[in-house]
Amino acid sequence: MENLKYNQEANGCGGSSTPSKKKDIAVPLELHACMGLNACKGHDRYGDNDCAGSGYCSTQVHYCHTMNNCRGQGGCGLYGDTEEQCTPGANDCAWQGSCGTPIPAERFVTQGKNKGRSVWQIARKLFENRMNDANRNVKEAPFAYGPPIKWLENNGRSESCGYSGHKNCAFIVNPEDRAKAQAKHSKEFSEESHRLLDDSMKNCGCKD
Amino acid sequence: MEGTLFKLVDEVTPSNLKQAMQQAIEIEIATIPVYLYTYYSITRVPDQGAIEKQIFTDFKAIQQSGKTDDELQKMAAALALDIMVFANKAGALIMSVAVEEMLHMSLSSNIKNALGNYGGLPELVGKTPKVWPAYLPGHQPPFPINRAKLTLDQLYTFLLIESPLPVQPDLTRGRAAISYDTIGDYYQKIIDCIRDNLTDRDFNPDAPQLINSKFYSQNNVDTIYYDKQHKPKFGNEDDSGGLVHVWGVDSAIHAMDEIVEQGEGASKIMDGHKIVGDHLTPDGKVVCPLDFDPLSYDDPSKGELSHFDKFLEIYCTIHRKNHELNNFLGTTSFDFSTYFVKDLPTNPSTTDYPENIQKVCTLNNAIYTYLFVMAEGCYKKKGHTQFEIFMFGIHKTMIWLLNVISESMADITYKDPATGTEKCVSATFEDYDFCVSEASPKDQIIALAEIAMKADNSVINQGILDIIHDLPDVAL
Repeated sequence: MENLKYNQEANGCGGSSTPSKKKDIAVPLELHACMGLNACKGHDRYGDNDCAGSGYCSTQVHYCHTMNNCRGQGGCGLYGDTEEQCTPGANDCAWQGSCGTPIPAERFVTQGKNKGRSVWQIARKLFENRMNDANRNVKEAPFAYGPPIKWLENNGRSESCGYSGHKNCAFIVNPEDRAKAQAKHSKEFSEESHRLLDDSMKNCGCKD
Repeated sequence: MEGTLFKLVDEVTPSNLKQAMQQAIEIEIATIPVYLYTYYSITRVPDQGAIEKQIFTDFKAIQQSGKTDDELQKMAAALALDIMVFANKAGALIMSVAVEEMLHMSLSSNIKNALGNYGGLPELVGKTPKVWPAYLPGHQPPFPINRAKLTLDQLYTFLLIESPLPVQPDLTRGRAAISYDTIGDYYQKIIDCIRDNLTDRDFNPDAPQLINSKFYSQNNVDTIYYDKQHKPKFGNEDDSGGLVHVWGVDSAIHAMDEIVEQGEGASKIMDGHKIVGDHLTPDGKVVCPLDFDPLSYDDPSKGELSHFDKFLEIYCTIHRKNHELNNFLGTTSFDFSTYFVKDLPTNPSTTDYPENIQKVCTLNNAIYTYLFVMAEGCYKKKGHTQFEIFMFGIHKTMIWLLNVISESMADITYKDPATGTEKCVSATFEDYDFCVSEASPKDQIIALAEIAMKADNSVINQGILDIIHDLPDVAL
């Protein structure tokens, strides 16, 4: 299996990334919201992942808030209230998902105490908890902190909505310097979100 | 509104409370197309490299101060960086205000629908000003409000709208004399009337209201911007207020206090007078603060400026930056906002545009009006039906129809046959008259979309048509 692991240089506006040569599975075995959120072997976008949680990318795509067709298919972040933004990939019903799928590593929560923190990491934690309740083992995701926007773009997917600009970039004109600064931002954002993940989950458990 | 309250009477009483609440709703509605129009004039994410080059070229051409190329290049790079942050910030702040104006329309509508015999169904459709310049219903004497691009003059109008203090008669820069109460004072008249004359028993808390927490979020992707380190900043704060279930006197007053505080800032009454910063001088100048004091914020954590202070911050940033740049260049009229503000027309009508653009504009106006149709529908239905109208109708229409088409329209240009010059286009936010046909509003929008798609499929495409087909069918 192709194993990209976490590659900071692949993250974002100026970075590089390698397009996958694989083809999408004709009929997905499970419809889920993003990389690392597949419940079984062969349930990812390409149909050849070997375990729960190790799949590449989402098997269903929609662009924004309220556009998911079923339970568990909503992304999160960017739109929606505090409660909705606490259930990425785990919404109750069609059209009740907050934001689009897949969920890029750079996407952040825009509402509530988790504002500015990673959406994908909350989605992955919810997924791991669900698998744990079902006594299932979960493998690492191909990217430790979720699929970078650049990787998604190079593999036929795009970031979702909004007009406020790139979620994780740098205001530098020189492309090489911008890519380096962006990779540094991305690393800091992902690691900070990871450090605060327990707190983020606690925040989601509170109704305030 | 035909004949405003203050032209008829000066105070709010139980006998005109229903009319007063409707006027409050129309005050809120009047601001929405104005703020949206200016918002869409901003290029929030310019090409940093391209504007840096253009700024340097322009600096070389106009400077009167003998600066070297190195000095000019350094300043051009710094200005381009400033623009990357400020253009996005100005857009985020204006959108954050527009979001709260929609909240205010909902809060006032909640109050009106809960007022039982003293209120009734809010009237939202067809209440956008029909003639421009427009005037806030009830302000006497009125001051003109334009749908216009972002400029200091436009921001000055925004400051007049949101001013926490009465504006002096000679503050209108040659416009009609103004001696008007603030929006806060207007709501205070309603509060006094309700507090003095009504009890909780006069309210009908079971009348449909917009109260579900999923209906309102203080922030979304378009109310954020990024600082120079590209860290996200949020235009609104979570604790600045949201939807309020109006069930009696106290909750109605709470809803109105929220509207006033978000617009004008935290209030502090001392010796019977509201204590606020006085930033508008009688001779029409704006006094820019060195920093914002606690009263400029509308939330307990002091993280969100009021509408007035958000506009003041944008105004003062442009004013100060232009002053600094003109000093540097030895010029008097350099305006850095030209690098991120589109040259949109002032107060355009659909009929001003060429025929193919008219079709897109007409569709956008029908979509804009349908938002109010659906909002009215939410005050006629409760429960799941209301939820579906709001979540799958209003949200989708705002985000994926009105926002997308209005953004696209602001990038369209056409050649004026009379002058041969390129002209910009903007969404016009005019109410569409669904009564021209017996078909449902949704069916009319589908028909208009098919026509618009034939006229310009670069803006209106199958994806937009599919979303329109998915909308709930809400009758007038």
